Amino acid sequence: MLKNKTLLVVFRLVLGGLFVYAGIVKVLDPLDFAQDIRNYRLVGQALSFLAAVVLPWLEILAGVALAAGVWKRASALIITGLLVFFILLTLVTIARGLDVECGCFGALSRKSGFGVILEDLGMLFMGLGLLFAPERRD
Amino acid sequence: MSETRKIVRQVLVIGALSVLVGAAVRFPLVKRFARGEFRETFLSPADYPGIRLITLREAEDLWAVGEVVIFDARPERSFREGHVPRARNLPEAESRQKFPADVLELPRERVIVVYCEGGDCQSSLALAKRLHDEGFKDIRVMTGGWAEWIKAGLPAETGDAEK
Repeated sequence: MLKNKTLLVVFRLVLGGLFVYAGIVKVLDPLDFAQDIRNYRLVGQALSFLAAVVLPWLEILAGVALAAGVWKRASALIITGLLVFFILLTLVTIARGLDVECGCFGALSRKSGFGVILEDLGMLFMGLGLLFAPERRD
Repeated sequence: MSETRKIVRQVLVIGALSVLVGAAVRFPLVKRFARGEFRETFLSPADYPGIRLITLREAEDLWAVGEVVIFDARPERSFREGHVPRARNLPEAESRQKFPADVLELPRERVIVVYCEGGDCQSSLALAKRLHDEGFKDIRVMTGGWAEWIKAGLPAETGDAEK
């Protein structure tokens, strides 16, 4: 369990910031993001569209909450949940041999592959550290 | 209220807020979706005026007249196993590479037909967008793809001569 307060604050700012950034680039072009989701060929048009409208805001709101230190555990739970989902999604995509853009960071997106999983694991480490950080008693 | 219940409630609040804010910010887009737009593709005609979706019949007619350039967006291996005669392979898997010079030299007014495997495949659309970004003005996506073409018993060519 991570106890170093400074480290936890850094984690909150970095992870929250990354999610806010990832959300903003997706909010800017919902149709493009919807196509990215559709390219994974797991859900149809309607679900891809709905996810493209809602998911970026989930990332932004959870990211802002985490960075600001409001509802820390809830926002860390959402973010770790999303990361676990992204990792599973990428694994399934690799297993199916699909060649798709990950759609993670807008223009900075690259091929959905092990690099993406490594990044997600790095973020997941921070997320879990925050989720299970000891309760502050001050 | 227990800690767990509090967290679950907060998660639900953030989730609900995301739905509300997303729907509010993109209300015009949601309205267009509700009216039946984007059911086949997420192309907005305003963003990609040069891209149209066509049926197998239209593609066949264009192919028969022979004035079109046909691009096959599938991986090279699938292309070699069989493709639309005269089609050229531009695998979307290599989309990070630039288009070959002779593709870029094509007149931008030429009618281009693109296709991929068919069914759920998305690479023809991605290729169409990239061609559109290069300035091509008349790109038609054969949505039924190779699967529909071969199912209809239309001619096929094998090998990689056109690559």
